[in-house]
Amino acid sequence: MPKITLNGQTYDAPAGKTIIQIADEVGVEIPRYCYHPDIGIEGSCRMCLVEVEKFPKLVPSCATPISEGMIVRTSTPRVQQAVRYAMEFLLLHHPIDCPVCDQSGECWLQDYYMANAQHTSRYPGTQKTRRKKAKDLGPLVKLDQERCILCTRCVRFTRNVTHTGEIVVVNRGHASEIAIHGEKPFDNPYSGNVVDICPVGALTSSDFRFKVRSWFLKGTSSICGGCSTGCNLRIDHSARAMGGGIPGESANDGTIYRTVGRRNVEVNRSWLCDEGRLSFHGMQRWPRLKSPRTHGDHRTVDALLPIIHQRFEAIRQEHGGAATAGLASATNTNEALFLMKKYFHGQVDFRLGNEVEDCQKRQDDLLRRVDKHPNTRGAMDLGLAAATDGLSGMLKMAERRQIRAMWISFHPQLIGDDAAEIFVQLQQLIGALDFSVVSTTHEFPWTAGATIVLPMAGWAEESGTYTNFAGRVQIANHAVQPPGEAKPLHSMMSGMLGLSGIQVSPDPAAIFEWIAREVSPYAGMDYDAIGPLGMPGITTPQEEVVR
Amino acid sequence: MTPVKGGYAVDVPIINVSERARREQATLWSTFRAFGVTFSRLFTSLIRRDMPTISYPEQTRNYSERFRGTHILTVRDDGSLKCVACYMCATICPAECIYIEAGEHPNPEIEKFPKKFDIDMMRCIYCGFCVDACPEEAIVMSREHHQAAYSRDETLYGIEKLMARPGIDAKGPGYRPNRPFAEAKIFDAKNQPTCAIPSVTDERHPAVLYESMIQKRQ
Repeated sequence: MPKITLNGQTYDAPAGKTIIQIADEVGVEIPRYCYHPDIGIEGSCRMCLVEVEKFPKLVPSCATPISEGMIVRTSTPRVQQAVRYAMEFLLLHHPIDCPVCDQSGECWLQDYYMANAQHTSRYPGTQKTRRKKAKDLGPLVKLDQERCILCTRCVRFTRNVTHTGEIVVVNRGHASEIAIHGEKPFDNPYSGNVVDICPVGALTSSDFRFKVRSWFLKGTSSICGGCSTGCNLRIDHSARAMGGGIPGESANDGTIYRTVGRRNVEVNRSWLCDEGRLSFHGMQRWPRLKSPRTHGDHRTVDALLPIIHQRFEAIRQEHGGAATAGLASATNTNEALFLMKKYFHGQVDFRLGNEVEDCQKRQDDLLRRVDKHPNTRGAMDLGLAAATDGLSGMLKMAERRQIRAMWISFHPQLIGDDAAEIFVQLQQLIGALDFSVVSTTHEFPWTAGATIVLPMAGWAEESGTYTNFAGRVQIANHAVQPPGEAKPLHSMMSGMLGLSGIQVSPDPAAIFEWIAREVSPYAGMDYDAIGPLGMPGITTPQEEVVR
Repeated sequence: MTPVKGGYAVDVPIINVSERARREQATLWSTFRAFGVTFSRLFTSLIRRDMPTISYPEQTRNYSERFRGTHILTVRDDGSLKCVACYMCATICPAECIYIEAGEHPNPEIEKFPKKFDIDMMRCIYCGFCVDACPEEAIVMSREHHQAAYSRDETLYGIEKLMARPGIDAKGPGYRPNRPFAEAKIFDAKNQPTCAIPSVTDERHPAVLYESMIQKRQ
C-alpha cells in the first residue's frame, strides 16, 4: 500500500484511489462541486486543487491517483488563491437570487463562498448572462440554467447510474448549458436524485419546491418504508415553530417535508427511487385515525389494553390458547412483531398477500423491489410464518371457529395501493371473529365491524429496526409525533405483555436486546451498535436456499 | 444588642425639616413663585392659544419617520406584491409571528410569491427586524399603531390588510432603512383597482374587498 502524506500526516492508502477519496476517509476537507463518490470523476470545477510536492502545477485531487511517497498539502496560500479564483469564475454569471432559490441554506456556493472566497464581484451585475429559469425537465425536476455551474453531476448520474442519459450539456464554451434531448422528458424512476446531488440551486424538486426553507428543517436518519430494499434516507421535517401563534399551526406540528438519500454503499449508495422519495406522502393519503374507536364509551389506549387482555384471556381459557392469534403487516418493526409473537405464543402471521415470494424479486436493476413492505425479511427471520397460512389461511381458521379472537395490525403500503382483496378478506375475517382488535394508522372502512380499533403510529412515527431483503438490520428512527392518541405497536404490545406478567420496556433498544438473545440471525447484535448504516444479519447457507 | 441612635441599624442623619424651611425663608411669596411655570403656561394657553395638549383621538400627533408601527407590504410598479416569500423576516422574527406560504409565480422571472403572508399582530413586538432582514424592501413599517379589533381573528393581518388599509394612507410609512423607497411603493387602491397577487391576474384587489368588508360591518 502506498504511503501518502496529507497535510503533514502520513497514511497508508490503498492503491488506485484518488487524493480526494483518501482525504474524505481521513477527514480532511477539500472543497468540491463536480466530484461525487458514486457517479464517476469529471474534474471540471477546479475547486479541489491541491499542492503536491514535485508537481509543477496544482493538481485536481479528485482526478489524481495516489502514488508512493506523495506529499499533499490542501491549504497552502497557493491552493487558497486558486480556490478563490475558481469561485470568482463560478460566481461570475451566477444570479444572486438566494432569497428565491430553494437551495439557499444548503447551497455549496454559499458555503464555499463564506469559507474560501468572500470576494467582491468584479463584474457589473447588469451585464450578467440571463438564461432560462424554472424550466420543467420532468415531473419531479425543475432546471434553472442561470444558477447552474456546469459541474455535470446530473449528466454523469444519468449516464453512469441510471444508464438513460437524458441530461446532456449542449453548446460549447460560454454558451454551454444543461438540457434534455428535445421534448423527451427527464422522467426515469430515479430522477429525483439529481436534485440531491446538485450542489447549487440549478435542479430543484417540484415536490419540495417552495414548501419550506431548508434552515427550518431537522434531519432524522431513517429507512425508507417503501419496499424491501430498505434504502437509507434522511427525513427532513419541521423542527421549530414556523409561525408560532398562527391559529391552526401548533408549535411543532411535525410535518415531513421531504426525504433525501443517505449514503450507504452496502444498500443504496446515495440514491433513492422517486416512488420511495415521495413515499412519505403515502401516510397522508387517507384521514388518520387519531383516537380509539370502541362500541362503548371513549377510553384512552392505555385504559383499553387491560380490557383487551381480559377478553383474550377469557377466550384462551374457554377455547384454548390457539383460539387467539395476531395478524401483523410486514411494515411493522421487528420489535413490534417480536412482542406480538410473544403475546400470542407464536400464533402470529404477517402475510397479507404474497410478500414472501416477492421479497427477493427485483423490479429493476438499481434499487426497486416488487415487495412493497420494508420488513418482510424481518418478519420471516422472527419466524412469524410458522403455524398459519397468511391472511387467507387465518380467514379459513376463523370461519372454522379455530380462531375466535385476533389482534390485527394493519399498516398500508407507502408505495402503491394494497390489493383490494386484502381489505375484503380483512373485513370477512373481522366478521368471523368473536372479538377483534384492529390497530391501524388510518380510518379504513373495513374496520367498522371490529370490536376495538386502536390508533397506531406509522412509518416515521415510531423507532425500530427493519430487516431488508438481504437480511441487513437497519434502524428507522421516528421523525415526527404520531397524530392524536396513536401509539407505536411495540409500545402497545409491551403493555399487553406487562398485563400478562412479562415486564418488558417499551424502548426499542431493550426489545431488540431480547430479540438478539432469542432469534438466531440477530444473535449478538446490539441496537446501539447497529448505527446509522445498519448491520448484516447472520444467515446460514441453508436458510438462503429456503428463501 | 446595644440600642442605636434613631432606631436604625446604621447612622442616619436626622434632618429637622422645619429648621431648614425657616433657614430658606419659606414665605407666601415663595409659594407664588413656585407656581410661576404653571401661571405662565396658563397665560400662553389661554391668551395666546398655544396648547401643549391635544384632543386625542380627534387630533393625533405626527410620528417620526422611523416610527415602528403596523407593517406595510410594498408593491411593484404594476401593483403586485414585491415580496418573494424568502422567509427572511419569518426567520429573524423573535416573536415568530410571521407565517408565509410560498407559491410558484406564473412569471419565471419572479418565480416565487407569497400565497399567504400573515402577521399575528398580537404576537408582534414591533422590533423592525423583519424590515432590516428583507432583501427586497418588500416589508416596511407604518406610523399607524391602532390595533383595536372586535375579535382575535381580526388581529391576524393577511396580505390584503398588510398591503393597503385606511391607516397607511392617513399615517404614511414609518421605519424603512432605504428611504425614500428605492424600488418599492405603497399600494394605492385609487390608482390601481385591479391587479393583485400574483400580478398577472385581473381580479379585484383584495384591499378593495377589505374596504367594502369594513363598510358592510359599519
